[in-house]
Amino acid sequence: MQILLQLIASGVAVGMIYAAIAFGYQLTFATSKTLNFGQGEALMLGALVGLSLTSWLGYWAMLPLVLLFGFVQGAIVERLGVRPSIKIKSEFGWIMATIALGIIFKNLAEIVWGREALPFPSPLPTDAYVLGGVRILPVELLIVVGALGMMLAVEFFNRKSIWGKAVRATANDRDAAGLMGINTSQIITLSYAVSSMTAALAGVLVAPRITAIDANLGAVLGLKAFAVAIIGGLESGLGVIVGGIILGVAETMTGYYISTGYKDVPGLVLLLLVLMVKPSGLFGKATIKKV
Amino acid sequence: MNRLLATVAAAAVLGLASGAWAQETIKIGVSGPFTGGSSSMGVSMRDGVRLAADEINAAGGVNGKKIELVERDEQAKNEVGVQVAQELINKEKVIATVGYINTGVALASQRFYQEAQIPVLNNVATGTQITKQFEPPENKYNYVFRFSANDTIQSAMIVDEAIGRSKFTKPAILADSTNYGQLGRADLEAALAKKGVKPVAVEKFNIGDTDMTPQLLRAKEGGADVVLTYGIGPELAQIANGMAKLGWKVPLVGSWTLSMASFIDTAGPNGDGARMPQTFIEDATTPKRKAFIDAYHKKFGGDKMPSPVSAAQGYDSLYVLKAALEQAKSTEGPKIREALENLNTKVEGVVQTYDKPFNAKDHDAVSYNVPVFGLVKGGRVVYANEDDKKNPVRSKSGTGGVAPQ
Repeated sequence: MQILLQLIASGVAVGMIYAAIAFGYQLTFATSKTLNFGQGEALMLGALVGLSLTSWLGYWAMLPLVLLFGFVQGAIVERLGVRPSIKIKSEFGWIMATIALGIIFKNLAEIVWGREALPFPSPLPTDAYVLGGVRILPVELLIVVGALGMMLAVEFFNRKSIWGKAVRATANDRDAAGLMGINTSQIITLSYAVSSMTAALAGVLVAPRITAIDANLGAVLGLKAFAVAIIGGLESGLGVIVGGIILGVAETMTGYYISTGYKDVPGLVLLLLVLMVKPSGLFGKATIKKV
Repeated sequence: MNRLLATVAAAAVLGLASGAWAQETIKIGVSGPFTGGSSSMGVSMRDGVRLAADEINAAGGVNGKKIELVERDEQAKNEVGVQVAQELINKEKVIATVGYINTGVALASQRFYQEAQIPVLNNVATGTQITKQFEPPENKYNYVFRFSANDTIQSAMIVDEAIGRSKFTKPAILADSTNYGQLGRADLEAALAKKGVKPVAVEKFNIGDTDMTPQLLRAKEGGADVVLTYGIGPELAQIANGMAKLGWKVPLVGSWTLSMASFIDTAGPNGDGARMPQTFIEDATTPKRKAFIDAYHKKFGGDKMPSPVSAAQGYDSLYVLKAALEQAKSTEGPKIREALENLNTKVEGVVQTYDKPFNAKDHDAVSYNVPVFGLVKGGRVVYANEDDKKNPVRSKSGTGGVAPQ
């Protein structure tokens, strides 16, 4: 029983990382039906910028600057990669453009920070808490609390603020929102900015847990988060949290009960199953595309 | 007619001039990853080679000629390694190359040296098959030599240390999913089988894995009293940190990568006590080693080599090559190879004293008795056993690359 709980605790911590990144996919998909395939790279940049700032500001004081950096970086991605292809109503241009920007960001990071893994100092004590025999690291709690807090804050912003209402209106019906006087392309830029901001925050949350970070940090995480977004449903904020936890726990459980060599298999099987049975995701709404 | 003569004369003069220029230096290639995840080893190796080249040149060079190093960064990528090998052979016309940290890069690249009949001196890569790739009788001559302790030796040493000396009975094996990790795991299992011990858990992890909880829980629930590792720095640090998280402390014994800076720095105090085979430990146990360590820090700064093993093996490889060049009195590949295989002079290195390090059948300079066990302590690698300090100068005995039965 204790082992099962330990596996779930570790799985939830890993899953919340996936969820935090997948949440960013969901934000841009809602407004523009496009995704930033460089989301993993946004996370990596956030972590590396955070590392550089930590050395002279400390961990907590650098967080607002990292959020600002992520915000600007996301806006740049939208302006350079997504807006041109939305303008010409290209179905697939943004896919290649966001992947290309991701590669460019990764190479830039290699030039700026080098290709060596850099140790990220832990802002919290490194001794594990023991809760009923289950051992949890303080930085794992930080991930769970930080990711949930961030998602709640964005949801609150979307529901209560005037900008958020514009985001929701654009998500509901872009053309109607435009007719109501909402500058929808500005709203799409905003959603990309917020999306990269959440990724950058996820980066600095996960970095102390991973302990050594480099320019490849985003590659695997971005991909797994994409699987989470598909499993949970690209339309649903709750879906990515549930999807993330499902994938994280499935990985640790398979690793322990079946074989560590097959750790990554159940997540991918689950992805295929969801695509077969409910293509819009566990929490997604099936939409009918009118042509 | 006069014009023709003048052209011929000019061509002859040019030819002579370029010939004379080529005679002035001896070009030696240095191929290693100087950027990226293996760079702490690559840069230390290169610095060791640079230090030896500077010392040799200051003392008058080799056969009256200065050594010129042609350094290339192959980024631990097979395809770049292949390009570098072709460039060094065809464009730079090196007479030999030293280097290689990664077994994959070495295996992909060294065939070009074999075809060109130019000796290639592996000074860090440990894959057992490196020196076997072009062995006789399939090939008439083998141009691949090695200065590191290969994985067969290392896995036998790990098992001897954990089961033989430390009397642990329930080992768990944690290895990464790369060729390096999985070949090492197979070697470890074979070495354990020889002792009649079956591991209680054999677990796998991927490069970039961020959570080792399932692997460690399986080892812990299996009742493991020691964890044997075959992986590289960052994931080894995840293992040490994961063990601390689970509040489970058993000794870590593993391949020499437990001495990587990325393990020691990232694991911090959790990495203390990890043990691994080392051909060289940064400790001035002999005057020769003291001179090497002092000269290294004087030239490159710092008070701790990023990878002492790589630096020492790189340094030694150039001195052995120098001895072979002096014996061959030639820069032709086949003659250098022949001299390396029949070295008459004893070369006092920092790893060992090279007394007939190679012969036609055996291209491994390190035998089972040469490496010692290192121990991570306070961010450095120190001698694990005080006795090894008392008997610091070793020399290859028996066949290199094969563990005693």
